[in-house]
Amino acid sequence: MAALHAEREAGPVEFSRLKAITQATDGNLGSHLTTLEKAGYVEIAKDFVGKRPRTRASLTQVGAKAFRRHVDYLRAVVEGVDGD
Amino acid sequence: MGISRSEAASALTDIESTAGRSRLLRGYHYAAPILMLWGLIWAVGYTAMGLLATNRWGLIWLVLDIVGVVSTILLSRRGQGAARGGQTWKILAGCGAVAAFCAAVFAMFQPTSREAALAFPGLMTGLVYAGAGIAWAPRYLWIGAALFAASLVGFFVFQPWLAYWMAAAGGGALFVSGLWLRRA
Repeated sequence: MAALHAEREAGPVEFSRLKAITQATDGNLGSHLTTLEKAGYVEIAKDFVGKRPRTRASLTQVGAKAFRRHVDYLRAVVEGVDGD
Repeated sequence: MGISRSEAASALTDIESTAGRSRLLRGYHYAAPILMLWGLIWAVGYTAMGLLATNRWGLIWLVLDIVGVVSTILLSRRGQGAARGGQTWKILAGCGAVAAFCAAVFAMFQPTSREAALAFPGLMTGLVYAGAGIAWAPRYLWIGAALFAASLVGFFVFQPWLAYWMAAAGGGALFVSGLWLRRA
């Protein structure tokens, strides 16, 4: 989510680029994306460039909003508004 | 159930690291075509230095530098969507600073050795890239090291063909580095 949020202005992000940013394995990243897609936070587009399959992901509006809310929550916890 | 303050801080740090990596990779993509362009200019310039008399070198580089700067501005504008606006001027200011430093060193020390004059800009440019690599983007350290090493090897091993060596090794190193950054 953080990677997609950081790349949101560049449009849909290729799987290989996301992998480089997140430093996750193929399987781990794929499973995260599937979960986020099911939640409606991420849109996944699959197509071909020549004969090469390409997977691209982008943050939906709902996803962007949820991410911002999550970051706000984390900041609030760190600043002592909430948490221990 | 909520999370602890340290867990939240750690999550925020992870988010910032991810955003940082994204900025770094975007910067590499943005710089890649510019580096490839300067690789070509470098190759053309040094080849011309090998072919033409010393008193023509200034004119050659003046023309090539103007072509390079204008092309850099055009390439930067094309990549503006992916990069921050101030980036172009930072790159141009960096190039200008290196050129001014080299010109000042030549003016002060008046090198009598043609080979030293050929190799020095390579060492200087290599140093600048290495510095940028140490400070911000690690890949530039390797690019700078390659350019620095190529200039030194050329000076000590290939002196009779130094201009052509600098054209092939220096220009080649910059061009290949551009390809490497594009794949980041």
